[in-house]
Amino acid sequence: MNAKQRKIIYRIMPYAILTFIGICFLLPLLWVLVSSLDTNAMQSLKMPHKVTANNYIDVVSSRPNQRAFGIGLLMSLGQALLVVVIGLLAAYPLSRYQLKYKKSFMLTILFMTSLPITAVMVPVYQLFLSLKLYDNIFGVILFYVASAMPYGIWMLKNFMDSVPNDMEEAAWVDGASVFAGIRKVVAPLMIPGICTVAIFTFSGSWGNFFVPYILLNTPEKFPASLKLYQFFGQYGMVDYGKLAAFSVLYAIPSVMLYILSQRFMSKGFGMQGGTKG
Amino acid sequence: MVRSKKRWMIITSALLCIALLIAGCSSKGNNSEASSPPASNSPSAEPSQSAEPSPSASPSETTPAEKTTITITYRDDGRGPEGTLYKWIEEVKASYPNKNVEIKQTPIQASEGDYFAKIALALKSPDTAPDIVTEDTFMINSDASAGYLTPMDDRVSGWEDWTNGSFIEALKKGVTASDGKVYGVPYNTDSRGLWYNKQIFKQAGLPEDWHPKNWDEVLQAARTVKEKVKNVVPIWMNMGKATGEATSMQTYEMLLYGTGERLYDDASGKWIVKSQGILDALNFVSTVNKEKLGPPLSKVLNGQAGNTSSREYLPQGKLAISLDGSWIAGNYLSNGAAPWPEYKDVLGFTAFPTNKGQDPGAITLAGGWALSIPANAKHKDEAWDFIKYALNKDNTKKLILASGNITVRADVGKDPEYTAMPFNEISTDFLQKAEFRPAQDKYPEVSTQIQTMVESVASGTSPENAAKKYAQDVTRIVGKDKIVEK
Amino acid sequence: MSSVTANVLYQRRRRTNFTWFYFLFPSIAIMLVFFIYPILLTFLYSFTNLALTGEAAKELKFIGFDNYVHMWEDPTVRISIWNTLVFLMGSAVIGQQVLGFIIALLMKHKNRTFRRVIGTVVLAGWVTPEIVCALCLYSFFGDEGTLNMILEFFGISAVTWLYTVPMLTIILANIWHGTAFSMLVFQAALDDVPNEIEEAAVVDGASRWQILYRIVLPYIKQTITTNAMLVTLQTLGVFGLIYAMTGGGPGTSTTTLPIFMYNQAFVNYQLGYGTAISLLLLIMGVVLSLFYIRSVKE
Repeated sequence: MNAKQRKIIYRIMPYAILTFIGICFLLPLLWVLVSSLDTNAMQSLKMPHKVTANNYIDVVSSRPNQRAFGIGLLMSLGQALLVVVIGLLAAYPLSRYQLKYKKSFMLTILFMTSLPITAVMVPVYQLFLSLKLYDNIFGVILFYVASAMPYGIWMLKNFMDSVPNDMEEAAWVDGASVFAGIRKVVAPLMIPGICTVAIFTFSGSWGNFFVPYILLNTPEKFPASLKLYQFFGQYGMVDYGKLAAFSVLYAIPSVMLYILSQRFMSKGFGMQGGTKG
Repeated sequence: MVRSKKRWMIITSALLCIALLIAGCSSKGNNSEASSPPASNSPSAEPSQSAEPSPSASPSETTPAEKTTITITYRDDGRGPEGTLYKWIEEVKASYPNKNVEIKQTPIQASEGDYFAKIALALKSPDTAPDIVTEDTFMINSDASAGYLTPMDDRVSGWEDWTNGSFIEALKKGVTASDGKVYGVPYNTDSRGLWYNKQIFKQAGLPEDWHPKNWDEVLQAARTVKEKVKNVVPIWMNMGKATGEATSMQTYEMLLYGTGERLYDDASGKWIVKSQGILDALNFVSTVNKEKLGPPLSKVLNGQAGNTSSREYLPQGKLAISLDGSWIAGNYLSNGAAPWPEYKDVLGFTAFPTNKGQDPGAITLAGGWALSIPANAKHKDEAWDFIKYALNKDNTKKLILASGNITVRADVGKDPEYTAMPFNEISTDFLQKAEFRPAQDKYPEVSTQIQTMVESVASGTSPENAAKKYAQDVTRIVGKDKIVEK
Repeated sequence: MSSVTANVLYQRRRRTNFTWFYFLFPSIAIMLVFFIYPILLTFLYSFTNLALTGEAAKELKFIGFDNYVHMWEDPTVRISIWNTLVFLMGSAVIGQQVLGFIIALLMKHKNRTFRRVIGTVVLAGWVTPEIVCALCLYSFFGDEGTLNMILEFFGISAVTWLYTVPMLTIILANIWHGTAFSMLVFQAALDDVPNEIEEAAVVDGASRWQILYRIVLPYIKQTITTNAMLVTLQTLGVFGLIYAMTGGGPGTSTTTLPIFMYNQAFVNYQLGYGTAISLLLLIMGVVLSLFYIRSVKE
C-alpha cells in the first residue's frame, strides 16, 4: 500500500464508519415510523400497502389519549416551571454570597443529582399514602420537582456564576430590589441556562412512566408515558399501527424541544459545571 | 451565642414551613378527593370514546344530595367498556332497585400480576379503597390477614341464599380465610384441563375424541402434531413470570398435583420445598421447551401470553393443545373478545392426566373470584346490599353466561340455559376431583417464586438448579421452621 | 465606584445576607420532604418487615438485620449486582463512552452537512423517550423484527435475540438511547483542544495514533472521567427500558438491581426487603459519586 492509497483510505474510512453507525442508529426507528403510517402494521417491518394518516387521526381524536397527553404536558411543564423558579431563587445566594456552608452544600447537591430515584420509590409511595397525595397529579409534580431540584440548582448556580455582577449592581443603584434585579437583569442573561434546565427536566419527566406508575392509580389520571407503557407492555401489541403512531406523537414534544434548544445546548455541555463548585 | 440563636431560628422556621407544606399538601389532597367524583363522572372514562352523559345527571327521581356513591373495583383486561364485567355491572346497576345508591366503576387496568399489587395498594388507605373489590380467591387469605377485608360472617348468615344451599358448599371454602371467617361472596369458579383443536388432531392422525392417560401420551400427541402439521404450535402452557398466577396454577400446579405431590402439607403445616414431584413437573416444562413443542418464548413469556393463546392462536388454528382454564370458551361467545361460532365443534376439552396415570387418573385445580368489602370501605352496608343483589340467581346467571365461567350457585348450575352452554358440563364434571390452592397467607409470595422457577426452566435452566433456588426462596419467605423436604 | 453607591450596595448586601435563607428555603423544603426524607425512610424501612399484603402488612415490625442477612444469602442479589455491573460496563462505560468518542472524533473537520445528518440520527435515539426506545428496540430485536429480516436477507437464519442474548439487547438498547450525550460532550471537549498543539505534533512527525494518545486524550482527561461518571450514574437507575423490553427475564438474566427491587417490592409484596435492595442501589450511587467528586477535584 503506497502513501497515496493510504491517504485515500484515511480520508474515506471515517465517512464509511460514520455512515455505518448512522444506519445502525436509524434502523430501530424504521419500524415505528413505517408502521405508524400503516393501518395493517405487523410486528415485522413491511412496506405499507397504502400510506395513510388514519392511525394518527385515530390516536389524536381519542378523548382518553388527548387527556393523557394533556396530563403529561401539565406534569412536565409544571415541573419545569417550578424547578426553574425555585432553582433560580436557590441559585442566587449560592452564586452571589459568601455563605458558610456553601461548599458542602454544593457537594451535597452534586451528590444528590446522582442518586437513582428508582431506589426511593417504595418509601415515596408510603410517604404519599401518609400525606394523602397518592393518586394525585399535583403530588406527582411535587415529587418530580424535588427529584430534579438538585440538578436544577447545580446547573443554574453555575450558569449564574457566569453572569457578571456589575449590571445587577447598576440596576440596584437605579433603585431596583433584589428580586427585580434577578428578574430583569440576571434571568434574561441566563436564558440559555434556564432553557437547558427546563428542557432537561421536561424531557426527564415526560419520558418517565415509573413514577406515575407507582404513584397514580386511576386510569383517567395517567399521563401519556404511562398510557403508552400500558398500551405496549400489557395489552400486547395488538394494534401495532396505532401503537406506533402514539409513540411517534409522544416523542414529538421531546424532539421539538430539542430542536428549539439546540443553540443553547452547547453551553450546557462544556462540562464547565463539573469543575467549579 | 448569636450564631446558635440564628441557627435555632432557621431550624425551627424550616420545620414550621415543612409542617405548613405538608398541611397544605394534604388539604389539597383532600380537596381534590372531594372534588374528584364530579370531575370524573363518566364511568371508567378510560377507553370510552363517546362523551356519555354523566350518570348523576340522569336519574331524576331523587336529589343528588341524598345519593350514596359506592365504588366497585375490578381488573380491566384492556377491553374497557367492551369487557364482560363492565357490561354486567352496567346492567345490574340499571336494574338495581335502590335508586339512592349510585354505583361507580373504578376498574384497574393492569396485567393479572400487577392487579393484586395495585389492589393491595388501594385497599391500604381509606382514601383509595373502593367499597367493593373483586378478589381472586387465592388472594383472600393474604389480604384478609393484612386486615384489608371486612369479615362477612354476620352478613352472610342473614342472607337466605347463602344459608339455603344455593351456593355450592364446597366452594365456600375458597372465600374462607385461615381464621375461619368468610371474606367474600364467590361469583365464579373454574377448572383446568387440556383444550385441543380437533381439526389439527385429525390432520395429524390423532383421535378427535382424545383422552390421554398420562403425561407421555400428552407429549406424544404434541410430538405427532409437530411432525405432521406445519406451522402449528403443538402445546401451549403459560410459563412466564408476566402471566402471574396463570403460570402457577394452570401450568405448574396442574403438573405438580398430577404427580400426587402438593405445595403445602396440611398435616404438618409446612411448605414442601423439595420432592421428586417438583422435579417431575419441571421436567415436563423442560421437555416441552427442549423439544420445541411449545410456543416461542417471545410469545409465552410476556404478560399477553394468555390472550395470545386463547384469542389468537387457538381460534386461528395455530395451536393444537392448550393447557388452560375452562373460562377461555367465554372469549368465543358472540359478545366475547374473539367471537368464534364454530368453537364448540372444533375444540375439545379433556381432563389433564396424572403423570403415570395413577389414581385419580386426572387432575384439576379450582379457583375463582369473589366480591369482597374492603376494611376501609366507606359504605359497607350499601356495598353488602348491592352484592346481595348482584349475586342473586338471575344476575349471577347473566354474568356466568356472558363470561363462560363455571357457576358457584347450585341453582344456576341446574338452569337449562347454563347447561346448554358447550363444555359447561365437562368442566363442572372436572370439579368433582378438584384441588384447591393452599389457604395460606404466604401463598401469593410462594406463587411468584413458582413463576420465577417455571420461567427459568422454560428459558433453559436445569430443573435441578431451578428447584434448588425455589427451595431457598421459599425458605426465606416462610421461614426455616415451616418447610419440609421429601 | 463612588462611595455613595458602595454604601448602598453594602446596606443591601447586609439585608440580603439575612434573606439568603428565604431564597434557599423553598428548594430545601421540597427536597427535604420529597427526597431526603424518603432516603431516610429507605434506611428505616430496610430494617422492617413492611409488606404489601399478608400478616406482615398488618403490623410493622423491626426485624433488625434480617433483610440484610437474606440479601446476603439470596443468590438473586448476587446475580442482580453482577447484571448491574455488566450493564453499567457494557452500555455506559464502554458502549456509550467509546462509541460517543469515536463518533465525535471522526466527525471532527468533516463536511458540515454530513456531520449534521449523522449527528441528527444519533441524537434521535437520545431525544426519544425511554419507553418509545424500548418499543423501537423491542421490535428491532423481535422474532420477526428488523434485525432478523436483514439477517435473513443475507441468508442467516433468525435468532431470538431477546431470549438468546437478552443482556446484549438491553446493552445495545441503552447504547442506542444514550450515546448522543457522550457524543455531544466529547464534541465540545475536542473543539477545545487547541489546533496549534496538534499541528505542532504533526510537524514533529507524530502519527495519528500518537497524537490521539499523547495529546488529545490527556488534554480531555477530565472530561472523560466526568462524563464516565455521569453516564454511569444515569445508567445505574435505568428501569423503564429494561422493564419494558425484557421485564428482567428470561429467568433472571437481565434482572438488574432496580428491576429486582421492583420485583421484590411490588410483585412479591415485600416492601421491606425491596427497600433494603434500594439501599444497596443508593450505596452504589454514593460510592460512584464520591469517586466522581474526588476525580473531578484532582
